[in-house]
Amino acid sequence: MKTSAMNASRRAFLKRASALSVAGTATPWALNLAAMAEASAAAADDYKAIVCVFLYGGNDYGNTLIPYDSTNYNAYFNLRPTLAYSRDSLTGTVLRPSAALTDAGGFSRQYALAPELAPLLPIFDAGKMGVLLNVGTLVQPTSKLQYTNKSVALPPKLFSHNDQQSVWQSSAPEGATSGWGGRMGDLFESGNGNTTFTCVNVSGNAVFLSGKEAVQYQISTSGSVPLAGLAHPLFGSAACSAALQTLVSQPRTHLLESEYTRVTRRSIGANTILTTALAGAPAIGTPFPDANNLGDQLKMVAKMISSAKALGAKRQVFFVSMGGFDTHDGLVSVHPGLLKSVADAVAAFYSATVELGVANSVTTFTASDFGRTLSGNNDGSDHGWGSMHFMLGGAVNGNRYYGKPPAVASDGPDDVGQGRLLPTTSVDQYAATLGKWLGASDTDLLSLLPNLANYNASSRYLGFV
Amino acid sequence: MSHREPDYSATNLAVLDPKYLPVESQPATAHGYPDPITGTAALTVSLLLTACGGSTDTPSMSPSILAERSVIGAEAVQPISDSDASRFLAQASMGANRPDIALVKSLGYARWLDRQFAMPASASRWDWLLSKGLDDPMYKNTEAGFDSCAWRKLISAPDTLRQRITLALSEIIVTAIDGLVGTGWRAFSAAGYLDLLEANAFGNYRTLLGQISTSVPMGQFLTFRGNVKYNPATGALPDENYARELMQLFSIGLVQLNADGTPKLVSGRAQDTYGLDDITGLARIFTGWDIDLAGHPTSTPDFVRRPMIQIPSRHETGASTFLGTTVPARLTGAAALTAALDAIFSHSNVGPFISRQLIQKLVTSNPSPAYVARVASVFNNDGAGVRGNLMAVIKALLLDSEARNNSRSVDASTTATFGKLREPIMRFIGWARAFNASSPSDAWNIGNTSDPATRLGQSPLRSPSVFNFFRPGYVPPNSAIADAAMVAPEFQITNESSVVGYVNFMQRVVSKGIGDVTGDYSSLLPLADNGQSLLNELNIVLAAGQISSNNLTLLRGAIDSMPAGRDNARYNRIHAALTLVLAAPEFIVQK
Repeated sequence: MKTSAMNASRRAFLKRASALSVAGTATPWALNLAAMAEASAAAADDYKAIVCVFLYGGNDYGNTLIPYDSTNYNAYFNLRPTLAYSRDSLTGTVLRPSAALTDAGGFSRQYALAPELAPLLPIFDAGKMGVLLNVGTLVQPTSKLQYTNKSVALPPKLFSHNDQQSVWQSSAPEGATSGWGGRMGDLFESGNGNTTFTCVNVSGNAVFLSGKEAVQYQISTSGSVPLAGLAHPLFGSAACSAALQTLVSQPRTHLLESEYTRVTRRSIGANTILTTALAGAPAIGTPFPDANNLGDQLKMVAKMISSAKALGAKRQVFFVSMGGFDTHDGLVSVHPGLLKSVADAVAAFYSATVELGVANSVTTFTASDFGRTLSGNNDGSDHGWGSMHFMLGGAVNGNRYYGKPPAVASDGPDDVGQGRLLPTTSVDQYAATLGKWLGASDTDLLSLLPNLANYNASSRYLGFV
Repeated sequence: MSHREPDYSATNLAVLDPKYLPVESQPATAHGYPDPITGTAALTVSLLLTACGGSTDTPSMSPSILAERSVIGAEAVQPISDSDASRFLAQASMGANRPDIALVKSLGYARWLDRQFAMPASASRWDWLLSKGLDDPMYKNTEAGFDSCAWRKLISAPDTLRQRITLALSEIIVTAIDGLVGTGWRAFSAAGYLDLLEANAFGNYRTLLGQISTSVPMGQFLTFRGNVKYNPATGALPDENYARELMQLFSIGLVQLNADGTPKLVSGRAQDTYGLDDITGLARIFTGWDIDLAGHPTSTPDFVRRPMIQIPSRHETGASTFLGTTVPARLTGAAALTAALDAIFSHSNVGPFISRQLIQKLVTSNPSPAYVARVASVFNNDGAGVRGNLMAVIKALLLDSEARNNSRSVDASTTATFGKLREPIMRFIGWARAFNASSPSDAWNIGNTSDPATRLGQSPLRSPSVFNFFRPGYVPPNSAIADAAMVAPEFQITNESSVVGYVNFMQRVVSKGIGDVTGDYSSLLPLADNGQSLLNELNIVLAAGQISSNNLTLLRGAIDSMPAGRDNARYNRIHAALTLVLAAPEFIVQK
């Protein structure tokens, strides 16, 4: 249903688009969108990339960004006494922003990073990292009264992992076929020398990176994978290698077979180009953490960025991810290690962009299924909604907070029970800010973020980059 | 409706009668013999047997089996070709091979299933681990032996249908070995979980729900082992994890369903099955459960397959309300669990929700609503008043006209959509089963095959989360599949790395084996000098005869350009032909 609705709008769009195009034929959606919006990015001569770091499972915001002023620390501790960091353990990672933070009541607020996030502190202090408070999926600005009275539309299937992952990435629940990273790719892929490398995923498939036209390209942490039977004669037979190439890449009529060979075709074609490009890329001297898969993924992103010129890429959207954040139990024993892996990997990646001289061109941001409850079960926390996230990069206006600090409470003004935060900033605003930086126009963004129009023009962009 | 165990006696009588035993000695079953398309050589025998069976076993058949037989009334008069049999086995087994193709042809589909239902379970994974001494305390904090015991069953257990259902259940009611933590003995916990699924594969879904809900591996994976009632001193509430996933994934799903599995719409909108309050209500049931050490230490693994026990002081004794039901206060933990599972199991979603997923795992990604409705009605009532009889459900879904309609397999029109992407481990096992792969040392050291760039991108009981390797509703973006409003679950683990990683892996495996697991190509050697004979054989056994004639011609030309006449050359031809057939889109998509 959802799919056919999207198709209907897509068909309608194609109709409009083809009416505009000179030849009257249905030219690719993105080209027409670019033409209609007079997007300048297609002709951009600079380079920009955004990198989404997705924390699968729903990161526990309570033990990621901890209230530090004594009033709110005490409230935090009382809601999760068995899970809470001691206040003493936080003294080394208290955030000291350039401007003091005050909440809705006019009270001064302080936060500390979890101690394991210490590698990010210098980046925050240097003004290259911002903190986004209480961001999550929304259809429109929503008050607690509206939530309670069910008087406004809410995101579908709140608190469900797979659906909220999808809503974060695409504005629709599981089954969605395009995400906002991919839809940004639609805008920019025609300006890239090779459209294949516009939306690059180092972790698997994610709807985030699929556009209406743009197709995500998946690369392993060790690069593209060559088909051995083509690289060398298959069991000594060049004829068999030739047959293999035809067989696996041929167009098919059966829909499933057709899609499978389409992926294989793309794989074989991209491998040829990438192998050459990556071979010519500068070596990266920045050390990445050992035994850290997220670090491995981000290192491959750094390599891809270092090859951007060779690939003719002007705008790229990357996706990396890490699992294990569904900390219903063992929060105290497991979560610190997860955060350390994230901090080590992201800090190394930021350093690598500095080394490559592209720090100002790369903006990294975190995302997750949802936040979690603040009041715990006896050794973990449960599925929530709004959460805290980080934006890093040379272009980020860092050393400060964005969004509003929520009351630290269970069933308080900013949560819907047990500290499940009702977001005060939407993913659409987060996305719009990133898209604007990439060079998307206001019109483009209203088109690719369907709920953005529900926000006043003055509040659509958060200004963190 | 009751959920007692179904009565299998009628079925068992029919299949154990010697006159229905297989006819492996029949000349028609010698491999490579009958024409794959017309099946002429096999036709006479097949007709005789099915006609004979059809008339004599009628009196002993249960009404439900008779009803199923009428659905596939065509079977009594239509001969089963080699390709038909292979196609059936692609849906109903871990993979076709010549003996099973012959058996399906001689018994017919229904009685091949009955034989499988009656087959005793093969030695358990647990016992295999014990036989290797892996219960030595030095292995307590390792996964040693788990992959081996899982592969051993998948590849070599004779009860191939039971293995197929066990695999399917392990991808619906998911746990993963990485998450079986907190007590040690991960390998045993994972092995015991698969053994539990296997023991219930032909049983009742309500019984299965009861057993998983007190199993240590599920208690570990979805974190309700050790879960404690509301603590007013700390404000700690019960862990909601299992309550949520039990409803979302294992029983009713997120939206109200019609009997045919389509969403119930009100003013065009799907209706949620539950809300946050239902979750917090049901979470209270799953408190107080913990491992049962039965007086023994944790230095042996026995406790991970003993059902969890109740610790009354930790169990919520107040009433619990969810799904419009209230489980009353002051029940024991066990009685509260029974009442809660009965309430969930009676939800009208369970039949279509589980039936549709089983169809997707075995037959086709996009079953028609009518097909789902037919199978779900058997789930709801097997004809003898039993709800949740998995044996009847399996039979109904595999014998349904939509599954058995052979024209689906040759439909080359642009709208051809029937079937499913074979999941990567099934492609590998398809090779292993077709050529009787074995592990001479009984080590089965295939290992973890999860790496998509170098292996299969999937490995038994190693899903990254409770959402399985792929979701039943996954839609490949930017695809004709999406434009057709279809789903293709297995495409969730299909990407530029995995498609190539798989072919590279199989190229190594077919030629060098993996660990000490190698295939037996003695039946292929006599065919190898002739590309057409070799490829026809591989096409029938591996791809159910579905590789197009154009591609067979393409491959034959390549194979026949290779040297022949000596065994070394013949093996090279066999390895190349196997790699090519296993890489063919018509094999990778099962129709």
